[in-house]
This record gives sequence, structure tokens and C-alpha cells, in this order.
Amino acid sequence: MPDSVIIRARGVTKRFGDFVALQGLDLEVRAGECVGLLGPNGAGKSTFIGCLYGVVLRSGGELSVFGRDPAKAPRLIKERLGVVPQENALDDGLTVMENMRLYARFEGLGKKPAEGRIRGLLEMLSLDHKSDVVIRALSGGMKRRLAFARALLADPELLILDEPTTGLDPTVRHVLWEKVLSLRHAGKTILVTTHYMHEAEILCDRIVILNRGVVVGVGGPRELIERETPGFVGIFAPEDEAVLRSHLRDGWEVFFQGRRCCVRAPRFEDLIALQEGSGCQALQLRPSNLEDVYLKLTGRELADDE
Amino acid sequence: MNNLLLSLRLAWNVVVRNWVVYRKDLLANISPTLADPALMLTALGVGLSPFIGQIHGLSYAQYLAPGMIATTALFTAFFESSYGFYVRMTFENVFKAMLTTPIGVREILVGEFLWTFLRAGLMGGLVGLVLAVLGLLPNPWAVLLFPFIAGTLAVPCGAIGLLAAVWVRNINQFQTVYSFLIAPIYFLSGVFFPLTDRPVLHLLVQASPFYHGVRLLQMAAWGRWDGMAAAWHLGILALFTAGLWMWSDRWIHRKLTT
Repeated sequence: MPDSVIIRARGVTKRFGDFVALQGLDLEVRAGECVGLLGPNGAGKSTFIGCLYGVVLRSGGELSVFGRDPAKAPRLIKERLGVVPQENALDDGLTVMENMRLYARFEGLGKKPAEGRIRGLLEMLSLDHKSDVVIRALSGGMKRRLAFARALLADPELLILDEPTTGLDPTVRHVLWEKVLSLRHAGKTILVTTHYMHEAEILCDRIVILNRGVVVGVGGPRELIERETPGFVGIFAPEDEAVLRSHLRDGWEVFFQGRRCCVRAPRFEDLIALQEGSGCQALQLRPSNLEDVYLKLTGRELADDE
Repeated sequence: MNNLLLSLRLAWNVVVRNWVVYRKDLLANISPTLADPALMLTALGVGLSPFIGQIHGLSYAQYLAPGMIATTALFTAFFESSYGFYVRMTFENVFKAMLTTPIGVREILVGEFLWTFLRAGLMGGLVGLVLAVLGLLPNPWAVLLFPFIAGTLAVPCGAIGLLAAVWVRNINQFQTVYSFLIAPIYFLSGVFFPLTDRPVLHLLVQASPFYHGVRLLQMAAWGRWDGMAAAWHLGILALFTAGLWMWSDRWIHRKLTT
């Protein structure tokens, strides 16, 4: 059903002078899906998000959001989406309520319906007791929740979250992801970028991994793990590397994550056997996860410009 | 037509946003715009008047009066569009958030210019009322025209500020723009002395929108309205507005979208 496709990108490119931020990006987001856009800083996530509502003008390729070209009809698209930008971009000198009223106005909500909507959202994000507080005085977590509430004002069909939980403490992070989950259950289409692999794994129906402006992996979280890094991972001390390598079998893999020497094997028992055979005690044994996929697909080295 | 109305409504939201923020600090925001011309009038008008005698049949205070309205409009427009816009754009990220709503870049520009027009019109109008109360207006009815002329003069001056805001590399560079562009315009456009006997300067200032606004305000305040001259000054102001508007439109698009 082509109608159910909310975002369709075909070979989208974006150049900033000599720098290529997006090089032929293909991506589809269907109605009701929660898609996680992962990738290193500078991979092109925010650039792509900017393309979706017309603040970044792509250099080439085809892009449609709700069946329209964001470079030509940004307003019609923006009427139906909500964005939580990476920077909160709140009016620091205004109170929570003033801020929400202003944005309700921008979204074209009438005064009466706006009041109810604002109260509901502030309540939902536990900010109702802060309505009259000046934003400057809010904590980082509260500001982020307010940016969330703001994005939801017009009850958008598509929600774009650009690193919604970066820099927040675990409690706030969990609260926000909980909200995302409930929005997903309410049938919203969600595109979210994040560096929290574990959360993306639990929350997203589909994961798109971006590296240097191209898609390097797409699929459901489980599917990606099964395809790219199936099995279990044992984490060892770095000085065990040589011994571990001498005990490897076909289909196993040794790699480094930071200073840790990791071994991936198809079955949990393989790792137990490896410990006994090599005499190396693993610091941790765990199932392979999205972070392993991410690190494998984006290269384990830091990008040149990092 | 519907699209145009919607676009204007969205642009009006930008005005509302600026007003909501502005009124939070109303006194601090209004004081300099009213205090500066008052001091100028006292120092020059009252202080110097006795030494100067008459200019074109006017006391020096009367000569100076309409220029105070022009000055208020110029400074309101320039500072709001240069520093003000720059801070909104760079430090407060106001437009980043705004652009996620149905408001577009063009509506931001139209809204900023509307805001400049209204603010300068209001402040110019207030200064005009004070002048009328002080008895410095040979034609007191001019107070009805002041808001309109002040606003009209402010838009091209605001556009200059806006262009400065998209061109400067950091906030300190506004000082340079002020010293080399705004201050000369302010001091040399006939606010403080008549240009009739200075043909070179008279020719030069034709190239500044401020001068034409000053002339319109003077004609109104002194009750020496000359239809042909007024049409000329208004026409030039309209040309400046159109040209600078198109120019800022291009630059603001470049600055707010990539």
C-alpha cells in the first residue's frame, strides 16, 4: 500500500561545499512505524531530518513526506509533524505556559482548545506544577520534557525526535522513552535518532544505521543482530588476546571494543568452553546486541574528523 | 489568496512572539528610546537654541524636533534588527524551533519587518506626542502622521540591520557597522543642521533611506508640506524598502536554511 508510506527517500544527497553529508540515502518510513536512525556524530542524521521539513535543502534525489516534496511544500508537511530538535530552542525568558501558548498559536490552535491541550500535555509530562515558572529556571530534564510537549501540541501524525534523551539522567530518559512508547501505541509514526542502542533495540520496529551519509544497515533490531552479529559475546581483558586467538574456531570472531578484547561465538556454551580451554576468565558474557551491530557496520575506528 | 492570508497570519505570529518577549521588560526596553531624544532636545534644543537663533524661521528646538522622531525610528529599527535578530537567531535559536512549525523563512522575514514597522511607529508616535506637549510642533496635527512616517522610515533601516546580522561573524562587529554606517547617517542627514547650503552632502545623503524619512517628518512637523517633494521622498523610501527587502529575503533564506 503506497499510501501508508509517510517518508520516502530515494538517493537523497546533500553537499555542503566539498563535504558530502548525504550520499544517496534510501529510506522508507511507513505509517505507525517507529524507526530508529542510528549513526556516529556527523553521519548525516540531523541533515536528513532537516531535509524532511525543509530547513535543509537537499542537493539531489527524491524525497517525499506525506506524499509531498519538503523543498516545495514545507508548510503542508509541517502542519502534520512535530519535531523535538537537538537543541531545545525554548524562549528562556518566558514561562512554561507562555511558551506553550505561543507555540499553540504558531500551530494554529484556537485559544480555547489550546488551553485544554496544553494542560493535558503538561500533565502528561509532569510539568503541570511548573506552568508559571520561567524556563531559565528549569532543569535540563524539564526543558527537554517541555520541548517534547511543544512538539506534541498539534497532535502530529509524524513525530521526529533528534537525540531526545542525550545528556539526560537515566530517570528522565526512561520517562521520555516511556512516552515515546505510548505514542507509538497510539499509532503515531516516529522517527528517532539516538545513541542509546539498548533503548533503540527495545523501542523501534526498525533500525536504520547511517555512516558517512549512506545507509549501511536496515532491519528490525532482532533481525539486524541475527544477520550481522549473531550469537554471544564474551568480554575479556586485552592481555588475553593472543591466548584467545589460539583457541578460536571457525565462525568465531575476535574484535576490540575500546580496551576490551571481545570474542563472538554462535552459542553461549562455546564461550563457556573457551573460558575453560584458554584459562581466561571473561569479565562479562552476554548475548550479542545492537551496539555490536552498530560498531561493526560503522567501523570500530573513530571517523577521521572526530 | 487563501495562502497569502495564512502566510500573513503566520508572519503575525512572529510579531506576537517578539511582543510577548518585549513586554516582559517593557520599561527597560522603552526607556532608552524615549530618554535619548529627550536628552538630545534638552542639551541641544534648550541649551544651544539661544546661541543659534533661527533656522528657516524656526527655533533650533523646533528645527531639531522632527529629527528626534526619525532618530527614535532609526535606532529602534537598527538595534532590533541587528543585535535583536542576531541574538534570536544565534543565541536563542528561536528560529530553529519556529521553523519546525508551519511558519516558514519568508514569514519570519515579513514578521520581523512588521514588528520593526509597528515598534518604530509606536515609539516615533510617542516621541511625537511628547514634542507636541512641549509645544515644539508648528503643525501639531502632524502627530497623526508621525507613526506612519516613522514606521515607513524604519523598515529599510531595519533591513540594513538585518543584513548586518546575517553578515557579521560575531556580535562585536555590529559596533563597526554602527560607527561607519549608522552613526554617519544619523549625524549627517539633516537632523542637526540644514543641508540646503551643502550641495555635496545633500547629494550624498540621497542614498540613505534615513534622510528621506527625516525630510518627510520635517515637512509634517513644520507644516511645510510640499506634495511633489513628499512624493519623491516616499517614492525613494519605497524603492529602498523593496530593494533591501528582496536582498534580505535572499540572505535570510541562505542563513536559516542550508
